Amino acid sequence: MKKRSYSDSVHFYGIIWDIAALLVFLMIPIAICIHLNVWPEAKYVFKGLLPVAMIFYPSAIIEVLTYTPLLGAGGTYLGFVTGNITNLKLPCGLNAMENAGVRANSEEGEVISTIAIATSSIVTTVIIALGVLVFSPLLPYITAEDSPLTPAFNQVVPALFGALGISYFRKHWKISIIPLAVIVIILLINGSIGSGVLIPVGVVVALLSTHLLYKKGWVK
Amino acid sequence: MDFKSDSFMYGLGICIVLFVIAQSIFFLVRAVRRAKALGIETSTVKKTISSSAVFTVAPALAIVATVITLAKALGIVLPWIRLSVIGAIQYEVPAAEAAVEAFGISSGISQEITDPKIFATAAWVMTIGSVLPLVLVPFVLKKIQKGMNKVASKDSRWSDIMSAAAFIGLISAFIGRALAGSGDKFVVGDGAGVMSVTALLSSMLFMFILEKLADKHNINWLKPFAMPFSMILAMILVMILAKVLPSDIATFEWRG
Repeated sequence: MKKRSYSDSVHFYGIIWDIAALLVFLMIPIAICIHLNVWPEAKYVFKGLLPVAMIFYPSAIIEVLTYTPLLGAGGTYLGFVTGNITNLKLPCGLNAMENAGVRANSEEGEVISTIAIATSSIVTTVIIALGVLVFSPLLPYITAEDSPLTPAFNQVVPALFGALGISYFRKHWKISIIPLAVIVIILLINGSIGSGVLIPVGVVVALLSTHLLYKKGWVK
Repeated sequence: MDFKSDSFMYGLGICIVLFVIAQSIFFLVRAVRRAKALGIETSTVKKTISSSAVFTVAPALAIVATVITLAKALGIVLPWIRLSVIGAIQYEVPAAEAAVEAFGISSGISQEITDPKIFATAAWVMTIGSVLPLVLVPFVLKKIQKGMNKVASKDSRWSDIMSAAAFIGLISAFIGRALAGSGDKFVVGDGAGVMSVTALLSSMLFMFILEKLADKHNINWLKPFAMPFSMILAMILVMILAKVLPSDIATFEWRG
């Protein structure tokens, strides 16, 4: 009985925070317009929005469908408010569940993933705010194109998924070969396909191939 | 004073930061309490918090770098707000670019925006373009979880393998891009090449070594930090190689 009430309360408060966030975020451009006393014509907004929406709305739908089962309920409500899910919140949650030795689809997994994602959200927000408020005079030097740190920042994603990947591949190498091979083949044909398309393809290929291996009894 | 970074804009930024932190603390406190009730050890909870914090540092600095990229055109505050909420690196830059281009300014965000109208338009486009997940989540989350639970109750073994498979599919997409993805021909560091493979393989190797080390010598504190440490070590290696290798090797990207 108690178990149910935690999950229900996560949804209850999650939806309240989600709607509050939506309203707060929409207030940003409204506040800017009031403050500057300019109201851009809708046609410019739509003109700017159209190419963005065409690419990002479908991928937003895919993101919600793909990440929700992986993040858990609390992680989902938090993660979609604070953003940077693929490059930060999701790997952070996965790493935490792996370390704590809890199953992703258990309540323990839900709790650990929420703790990790909440911590990560706080730290990210604080780092960005500090970066902006305290270090903004120095930042152009750190992030300039010829700064010695730039090559490292360009490779955050491979460094992150390399470390995360190896622990999964070691444990589940049998089911890793097919999705990785399919992705590489797709990229060899067209290298410019972005991760927004590759992620759902990778997930679907992994699920189908793993299901086949499972049915054949090759993975247990 | 520049309207893009006056005290009003800073005030707006601080409000957003407080909102995000309040929400995170709310969920954090509830999850920690629930963890106690479930009998998860306090040390596990503490380790989760500290390793997640360390883990976050490097990617968060990369996000700060995006804020700076956008700051040239939009001032520092709007990019700060946008990347503190929903924002993602791969999204905000094209969104700002499209908003500016709607006014027929082909240089996009490479030039400073001085027209408040264009600035306000960029704020609208970046916001409306990114809020869709917040609209969707309340409708679909419960349904998806119900579906997951159904599978789990039918065949729990398969449901465990299934979530591992989904992770692997996701990870494969990024690893695939580091191995064989192409970037913008004119941009250094965005396509698969010497640096991306160095980062990928060295972080795998560091992770392997640190995990083995922690297991063999029973260094319990190291385990949760193996991943953030591997990531940072790999990035340091990239930084060193970028300095010492001849630049045509260091910046070589086989797919452009």
